[in-house]
Amino acid sequence: MENLIDATHQAIVLLLSGNSELWSIIGISFRVSLSAILIATIPALLTAFALSHWQFPGRRLLITLFSTFLSIPAVVVGLTLYILLSRQGVLGDWKLLFTQTAMVMGQIALCFPILVAMGHTALQSAERSAWETARTLGAGSFRALYLVMREVRFGLLAALLAAFGRIIAEVGSSMMLGGNILNYTRNIPTAIALETSKGEFSQGIALGLVLLIMAFSLNAMLHQLQGRGRPVS
Amino acid sequence: MTHTALLQMNRIKKRFDKPPVLQDTEIELYAGECVLLCGDNGAGKTTLLRILAGLERPDTAQVINNTGSRSWRQSRKALLGLSVYLHQTAYMFDGSVSDNLAHALPRPLQRWQDSQRQIKRALDWAGLGAIAKAPARSLSGGERQRVALARAWLSQARLLLLDEPTTSMDHPSKQRTLELLHALKTEGHTLLITSHEPVHFLALSDRRLDLRNGRIQTVIPDLHPQAAPDLPLNVTPLRRKLSC
Repeated sequence: MENLIDATHQAIVLLLSGNSELWSIIGISFRVSLSAILIATIPALLTAFALSHWQFPGRRLLITLFSTFLSIPAVVVGLTLYILLSRQGVLGDWKLLFTQTAMVMGQIALCFPILVAMGHTALQSAERSAWETARTLGAGSFRALYLVMREVRFGLLAALLAAFGRIIAEVGSSMMLGGNILNYTRNIPTAIALETSKGEFSQGIALGLVLLIMAFSLNAMLHQLQGRGRPVS
Repeated sequence: MTHTALLQMNRIKKRFDKPPVLQDTEIELYAGECVLLCGDNGAGKTTLLRILAGLERPDTAQVINNTGSRSWRQSRKALLGLSVYLHQTAYMFDGSVSDNLAHALPRPLQRWQDSQRQIKRALDWAGLGAIAKAPARSLSGGERQRVALARAWLSQARLLLLDEPTTSMDHPSKQRTLELLHALKTEGHTLLITSHEPVHFLALSDRRLDLRNGRIQTVIPDLHPQAAPDLPLNVTPLRRKLSC
């Protein structure tokens, strides 16, 4: 217990002292995960909208596939992309293995199904008449899409936070595709795994604290917004 | 007196399951008239309205205009621009009554002051000024319908397709809704109304169509305002526009 308290104390000192190595890891983590979520969000939400509002062959299969991919382990995504990006792989010529781009690709593969599945559930809760009312009042397809998404914005925001939470904390894919290179591809989860294996708990706890504070802040923000927008019953 | 066909649609077919809901029927609507569409539950009234509004894809349908005949698919954008479809239960977007009216303002975005002026006019027109800031989703069925009619009025659509506009309303709400419908007709809008209670709309209607077995089978031109017990006090006598 004393060890834990000491390590936590050292972790806080490390964070507050502006340790460059620590803050570089935090910066890389956020840069990679934010890039992945930014790239994935719009196509994923459009896919979710198509699945919730249009009938087309293979729709049910796609919904089942995205739901299945929700529980795919990060290491399996990492392994699949590793095989594709390795020198003998189909995408080997791109020379992306052990780069931040490869990490972003892995994280997109992880967050896309979450955004689609949760976005689909949120958009299904929107009444069909919301879309039709917008269209009949003269809104074009994109404006009607915006209005429908606005109606279920809290559900979509929850999907966004869940997806971000999944990728900022995943270790398997980042470790395999990034290679845990200091100041380049070492992010919070891979650094925690490394420092823990070395017995250096203070840095691991410091990084864990960053993740916890981030998760708390994002969830507090979501609840604050939901409170403001609570529909009148 | 000549009458301009605002919308003519032929060969309308739609099948969800057997038997087909609409089988090779046709409809013609004239500028400024009010048409009452009657039929049993499941007769296809709502489906027909939604097809006319450009919201429901028919199996086949031809839209006739001055330049000839075009498929429903080719005409969909024009149908969406021509009409406003009002659901049986009007959908209210999240926000106030004024916010909901703002969604009906023509795009591209106007100047804020102009928008507010138009919204104010719509609020006054529908008698909604007192609840302008109220959350739209907290409104009663009658108030929602008035917001929906004010949105239609703001959108300046020439054709209003109203699906059971007075269902589940108390007597005063029905009266107010009928008054607004009459005002819309007076301003030159074309109205197509479905209702299980045609008696409420007799004074307003110029024609009555019956939808049976997937077809518009009868056209009943003779409507007697005396038969309408809920006629609003300020509604003018029946104005016959068509000789059917």
